Amino acid sequence: MFSNQQIETLPQHQRIQFQSLADKAIWHVQINWLIFYLPLMAVIIAVRYFNTNIASSIAPHWLLVLPVIVLLSLLYNVYSVRAKGIAVREHDIAFKRGLIWQHVTLLPIARIQHTEIHRGPIERKLGLATLRLYSAGGMSADLHISGLTDKYCNDIRQFIQNYGCDERVKSDESIDE
Amino acid sequence: MNNNEWQRVSRWALVYFIVHFAIRFFKGGLLNLLPVLVVFVTQVEQKWFWAQIATSVAVVGLFVYAFAYFINFKYRISSEQEILLNKGVFKKERLTLKFARVQNVNIAEPFYFQPLNLVNCIFDAAGSNAQEVVIPGVKLNHAEQVREQVMAFKAQLQQESSDEQVIPDEAVSSSQTLSISNAEIAKFGLISNMAILALAALAPFINAIFEFLETAFIDRLEAVFNEQAVFIGSAATMAIMVAVLLMILVAVLLSVVMALVRFFNFQLYLQDEKFKRIAGLFERQQLSVSLEKIQSVHIKQNVIARLLKRYTVVCPQVSSGGAGVASAHKNKQTLVMPVLTASQVRQVCSWLFPWFIDLKELNFIKPERALLYKNTVLYALLPTCVAVVFLHSMFDLLVVLWGLLLLPALVSMVYLSYQKTGIALYHHENRYFAVFKTGMLGSQYRVFEVYKAQSATTTSTYLMRRSELKSLYIQLASGSVTMPYLKCNQANQFVDFVLHEIEATQRSWF
Repeated sequence: MFSNQQIETLPQHQRIQFQSLADKAIWHVQINWLIFYLPLMAVIIAVRYFNTNIASSIAPHWLLVLPVIVLLSLLYNVYSVRAKGIAVREHDIAFKRGLIWQHVTLLPIARIQHTEIHRGPIERKLGLATLRLYSAGGMSADLHISGLTDKYCNDIRQFIQNYGCDERVKSDESIDE
Repeated sequence: MNNNEWQRVSRWALVYFIVHFAIRFFKGGLLNLLPVLVVFVTQVEQKWFWAQIATSVAVVGLFVYAFAYFINFKYRISSEQEILLNKGVFKKERLTLKFARVQNVNIAEPFYFQPLNLVNCIFDAAGSNAQEVVIPGVKLNHAEQVREQVMAFKAQLQQESSDEQVIPDEAVSSSQTLSISNAEIAKFGLISNMAILALAALAPFINAIFEFLETAFIDRLEAVFNEQAVFIGSAATMAIMVAVLLMILVAVLLSVVMALVRFFNFQLYLQDEKFKRIAGLFERQQLSVSLEKIQSVHIKQNVIARLLKRYTVVCPQVSSGGAGVASAHKNKQTLVMPVLTASQVRQVCSWLFPWFIDLKELNFIKPERALLYKNTVLYALLPTCVAVVFLHSMFDLLVVLWGLLLLPALVSMVYLSYQKTGIALYHHENRYFAVFKTGMLGSQYRVFEVYKAQSATTTSTYLMRRSELKSLYIQLASGSVTMPYLKCNQANQFVDFVLHEIEATQRSWF
């Protein structure tokens, strides 16, 4: 029998103990970042040296800005990964992210429409995976969590799949009683 | 009704297939043929001759394809409570749609079927266009029988799955109606942004239109103004102004026509916990929406609607992705009540929410004043500074002072927007409803039952955290709602409450 007693104190999400991403998650982020930006920097430097018009308008010391940006970004990535955390509760999944804009998203498992696990070549090498959880009506995934171990992703997916079954079993048991 | 024999549709359905494929060709195919068109325009000699040949081939191709499609099109309502469809010309398709998966059965009556008493029977499978099954050119009574059969099966399913016994309520089952006159519908043309849509549709031809206007219209107007010595200033400027005014008038007229085409003779019924809407000029579209499937109610009033004292009410169902509310509104399954008076809004909303009162009377929680300060800096002070610097670099001091007039206008807009932002909760018979209010010159209300939310997010910046503030974002199955700059404890409490409602409520949310 379903009961709906008035609740004096609601479970508070701000007390959730978030679990950090996998140790290798930072490598995944840094490698991805470098794969995109190193070739871009190489192109900028090549254009600067081979095109005389651009060479005359950009002084050589301005090129030092590029490695500084790279270093700052690598540092930002470290703190950004540390700021991320996931928590799986009995009825929902919580994910926090962001350094400047801090977001905390809570997605009830009962509202998850489908689950996807992605593994790119770098993720496969590092034993990582990306988990995407979709509810209804959103433009894209409600939760997009990269940097989890492959096993943890599969465990979460299994937990989500079992959720409906467990609920049904509970309700069947209560009907039997 | 169950039939193990494959059935053919009426031969008049061929007209539907021709129209359907012609529209599909213009919508999708023409864009793909754009490179060929470019080559044709730039490279081919004797364009008129080859254009005639190409058009004839396309028309013959369309007729042959539609005929082949018609020949192959067969359907069957099987005894296993499913609709089977055989269709396709080059790629044969066998489609099975179980009654349990059908969300709605809509009956559309295109103008070319009206004298024949034929209709299109449309089965919607998941609120998405891709999942739509259409059986064209069937008799109206046959379509209604099929609809009854599907809905009876679904009602039986729901009754079996429901823990609680549904007690039929005589008062609810008696039909309630709402009709909107066509004069009112025309007002929707003025209120809505259909004029912009009409102009957007003309966008690919905008260069050609401007060239035509310049040669056929503006040059002549300029000549007329030049002859009239009374006009002070440039005749060319006057001609362009008149042309722009005329274009706006044409756009508004188009907008009114589009509104009439879509909502002509609008009638809405509430029967057996379902909204049934019939509207349309060329095609009488019947839309049937269960009250429980409505995810939220969107009550809108823009500036023009405010002047006319009218509202638009939108009841979206689950949207299949896309940009939130906008995508939900374009969804065919979204129930739109285009022009309602305040009393009609109360009437319709009280069918949906028995507690419904004038929303202005609700006790709205306003955002903190920090939002007003932030928006004043970002959207009033900063743009004014940029405008003043820009004007200063180009004009003299007097013009720069005119630029400063921008500041009070922008500050007023920011203040109005701040005043119209709010959130309220309403408790009625153990059910909780949330109302989100936004607006500037107009106003918008989103009303939804809390347990229908999909997820909740809080956001805070460094400065917000220092002031103990958070913004709230609730994802619905039909878009999303946001409430900026709430006190931290209010935002947290709201999120906890939403989660509790979602997780503890056993009722189906769609």
